[in-house]
Amino acid sequence: MTAYLIRRLFQMLIVVFVVSLFMFFLFNIAPGGPLTGLQQQQRRITPEEKARIRAQYELDLYWPVRYTRWLVGWPQGPIVINGQEWFAEVPMGCYLEATPEEGGGCKDYVYLAEMPTLHPPIKSSRGILFGDFGQSTVVQAGRPVWDLLASRLWATMELQILSLTLSLIIAIPLGIYSAVHQYSKFDYTFTTAAFIGSSMPTFFFGLLFILTFTILAGRIQEVWPWWPTLPPGLREAVRPYDVASWLPKVQPGSPLDRFLHLLMPVTVLTIVSVAAWSRFLRSSMLEVLRQDYVRTARAKGLVERLVINKHALRNALIPFITILVLQIPLFFAGAIVTETVFAWPGMGRLYYDALNRSDYNIALAFIYVTTILTVAATLLGDILYSVVDPRIRYS
Amino acid sequence: MTASAQPIAVSKIPREGKEESQFQIVLRRFMRHKLAVAGVVVIVIMFLGALLAPYIAPFSRDAVDIAVATRPGPPGTMSSAGQIHPLGVDHLGRDLFTRLLYGARVSLSIAFIVVVISELFGVVLGATAGFMGGWFDTLISRLVEFLLSIPTLPILLITASILIKTDAQLPLPAFVTSFVSWMLAAPPQEANKVIVLMFILILLGWTGAARLMRGMALTLRNQDFVEALRAVGASNTRIMFRHIIPNGIAPILVNASLGLAGIVIAEATLSFLGVGVQEPTPSWGNMLSTAQSYMFQHPWLPLVPGIPLCLVTIAFNFIGDGLRDALDPRLKR
Repeated sequence: MTAYLIRRLFQMLIVVFVVSLFMFFLFNIAPGGPLTGLQQQQRRITPEEKARIRAQYELDLYWPVRYTRWLVGWPQGPIVINGQEWFAEVPMGCYLEATPEEGGGCKDYVYLAEMPTLHPPIKSSRGILFGDFGQSTVVQAGRPVWDLLASRLWATMELQILSLTLSLIIAIPLGIYSAVHQYSKFDYTFTTAAFIGSSMPTFFFGLLFILTFTILAGRIQEVWPWWPTLPPGLREAVRPYDVASWLPKVQPGSPLDRFLHLLMPVTVLTIVSVAAWSRFLRSSMLEVLRQDYVRTARAKGLVERLVINKHALRNALIPFITILVLQIPLFFAGAIVTETVFAWPGMGRLYYDALNRSDYNIALAFIYVTTILTVAATLLGDILYSVVDPRIRYS
Repeated sequence: MTASAQPIAVSKIPREGKEESQFQIVLRRFMRHKLAVAGVVVIVIMFLGALLAPYIAPFSRDAVDIAVATRPGPPGTMSSAGQIHPLGVDHLGRDLFTRLLYGARVSLSIAFIVVVISELFGVVLGATAGFMGGWFDTLISRLVEFLLSIPTLPILLITASILIKTDAQLPLPAFVTSFVSWMLAAPPQEANKVIVLMFILILLGWTGAARLMRGMALTLRNQDFVEALRAVGASNTRIMFRHIIPNGIAPILVNASLGLAGIVIAEATLSFLGVGVQEPTPSWGNMLSTAQSYMFQHPWLPLVPGIPLCLVTIAFNFIGDGLRDALDPRLKR
């Protein structure tokens, strides 16, 4: 087991390393980055000015150099041994590129010796491995990425915790009931509904909800003022609004306002998970109910309720652990699609905005943490699996 | 048991008139799954609509109607030339029914191309890995594990958003571009962008088939008939392509059918988020994305691309379910 764990941890490191390297490579070939907007605003920008702005975002450095600086905050300058500078003349990047008329290539290299003056340590990140995620460049320019992520974290957690709890409460009894009453009318209806639910695209679900409970309900409300409507997006309202004629105006930021805004995104997330999980639980339960020990329990004359709840259910839940554990990264990453549809100010939405506006420090930090959480969750799932089910051994 | 003791070629056994072929058995079992049959009907209709898009579309794909250009119009809107727009027009006065047909062509083409290539890729790699073993197996298994352990949606989003912004072009021979451009019924410049998108989806999409096929190859290679094949001098390539792969094809078909639904959803999601198929190429996803910004005034808009999108994904899933029941009766619950 120890050898297995060490091997898996080592694999995790490689995965995270490869993913972050790949992302850096991608950003390198992306055009402009933070400069895109700038080029559109001022077309008559001189090459020198452009170089200066590029240097501000460290875009003058070669991408492997940027990568190590991002990862471990190194190199900051020449290596000093006994007062003597080493590798001072190694080019680290290109400050000013030569135009094609001048023959291409680089006109002004950035040498390692110039790094402390051009890119002083105060302005650059100390390295993501040491918990410094750098600064946001576009979305909220100058704000530390970590701070920005932390400010969005609670909104995402709120959504995920609520929908996870609700999904578990609904999915487990549904799956079990349907398995115990296999081929009944309920089972047939339920499996078909769950099948359709799990094969529909999430974002269309979201749009349908807004369409029904905000737009359509709003039109009905014009005829019958008591008909309630729901706010379509965001986490809380900007100004007081009416829900239905029998309710006073809802004040922005009040608990009722929060609750109303949560309703739709939580419902969408819950429906999607319930559809998938209850199907899984149903087949896992059916598998267990066929086992010999269930027949033995019944043969002993045990009450059916005990057979189901104590003998069958516990074992049916074991494979479910792997699925449940995979939800962990979502507490950080959130549901990108649902958050975008409902303009929910969470992590997923932040990531989407960062991508749209080329704020790569945010996007990188997001991918980095999500990847670590995902691989860690997978490993945790495997370990838990072997703890709960002694038949499973890793070697 | 007595029959298997005689080494006669299976194809030489005389068929009786009443006996069903393997295909007929599968077909009969498939027909029992009513919803899967309904799925086939839906797909055939969509497929015909997509295939005939250039002939049955009442307007040209990007025709902007200045007279009704400023805002979307409901179904039945008249064009300035006096023609009826059956499903209305979008914010640029383009006919929605026409764009829906071309969108079907784009979405379905992407799904079919991506699934066919990634399943082929996965099958060949998986079969080779499982059959040969050794370093190649280790390499493929690690690669699959790697691709399965990364957070797919964020990475898909970031890769698509960057590659599509860069106008990245894959070094492909001209006939590939023109073939895709014909499939999409779109000009080659637009096809190039879609090829990049398909490339990304294929890169992340082949793992399922590879894993399935590898597992099949691992169990099949130790069976007696492979031993027998070796004894009669069949080469490794022949054993693999004529015996191992055909034997494992049933779960691959099921996987492909479910994969079609998955790719349709993935493409629609990416296009909805603005990093997939780009305007003016229509796809159901980017039509929904535009529809979202106008849905408060024009609530029918998201339904136009949304309903066919849902029908298609549900249909592909039901077909997959039906195929699973038909191809492998042991899996019948």
